[in-house]
Amino acid sequence: MNRTSKNNSEIDLNPIDHILVSEEKLIPSSGFLTSVMERVHEEARQPAPIRFPWKRAVPGILLAAGVFGMGAYELVRQAIPAAQALTLTPPHLSITVQRPLEQAAWVAFALAASLASWLLSRRLTGQSGLL
Amino acid sequence: MTATPTSATEDLADVTRVLAGDVQAFEGIVRRWQGPLVNMAWRYCRDRGRAEEMAQEAFLRAWRGLAHWRRESSFSTWLFALAANVFRSELKRFPTVNVTMDEIAEPSAQATQHTALQEKSSHDEVRRAVLALPHRYREPVVLFYFHEMDLSAAALTMGLPEGTLKARLSRARALLRSRFPHLNQESSDPRIAALTTGKEA
Repeated sequence: MNRTSKNNSEIDLNPIDHILVSEEKLIPSSGFLTSVMERVHEEARQPAPIRFPWKRAVPGILLAAGVFGMGAYELVRQAIPAAQALTLTPPHLSITVQRPLEQAAWVAFALAASLASWLLSRRLTGQSGLL
Repeated sequence: MTATPTSATEDLADVTRVLAGDVQAFEGIVRRWQGPLVNMAWRYCRDRGRAEEMAQEAFLRAWRGLAHWRRESSFSTWLFALAANVFRSELKRFPTVNVTMDEIAEPSAQATQHTALQEKSSHDEVRRAVLALPHRYREPVVLFYFHEMDLSAAALTMGLPEGTLKARLSRARALLRSRFPHLNQESSDPRIAALTTGKEA
């Protein structure tokens, strides 16, 4: 059992804690400060980013929104009568086609359930392959 | 890893000067925090060159976002949280060459470890094992020990509730203990003992 001092109190640590907390301190290389300040000065010299010209853009955006809105309105207006004119009759399938389709649906369902279960287990294990 | 009252005052003064247009005042901030940030980055990637690059990027982001520091929390809290975000996204873009926990050799039993070299190698294995932890457990461990086992400081840096962090730490410590059974000794430190009962929020 190792001991370390923190806030003037002696603390007992288990070996793993001791190893992880007592890591040697890395000293930044001599050029680190200069290198950071060079980049900061570089950034400071750059002109301020040009603001988005909202005043000029707003009329264009409003116009585009209006055109799209009108288009959507017309589309819906014309689609409603067309949809009402349609008669929905289920396609007739012979028994020889129906059976395989039903089986295929069950296979698809099983595959989807497997995929969901795999995704869930990956999420629970943190995607590490550890567990 | 917290700011002293003196450094907090100096940070505030330097930030005020930088925001008033004195670019050179940022040097004081870099000078005071380069060590902690490089060490924090090192714990994320265990690559010296990369740690300095990531720390530099964190300082640049701090420079750009200095006006966003709302002074409700200390400057160091804000800086560490920002740095953690930078390191996280940098490592997402270019992950470290990682090994799985199983690929890490278990150090030989304590009784056979006589030399300082063997001990160092055994310590390195434990530290490498932290990077092999699943992502959700790795960062809490990195930050908890970086902040010298200060749970609330680690939670503030990660932006997580303390309960959630405690639960993740508890799970991470259990994984490490199972990997290194001969290092498995219960701690009498109450902060550590509390972690063994943590449940994820």
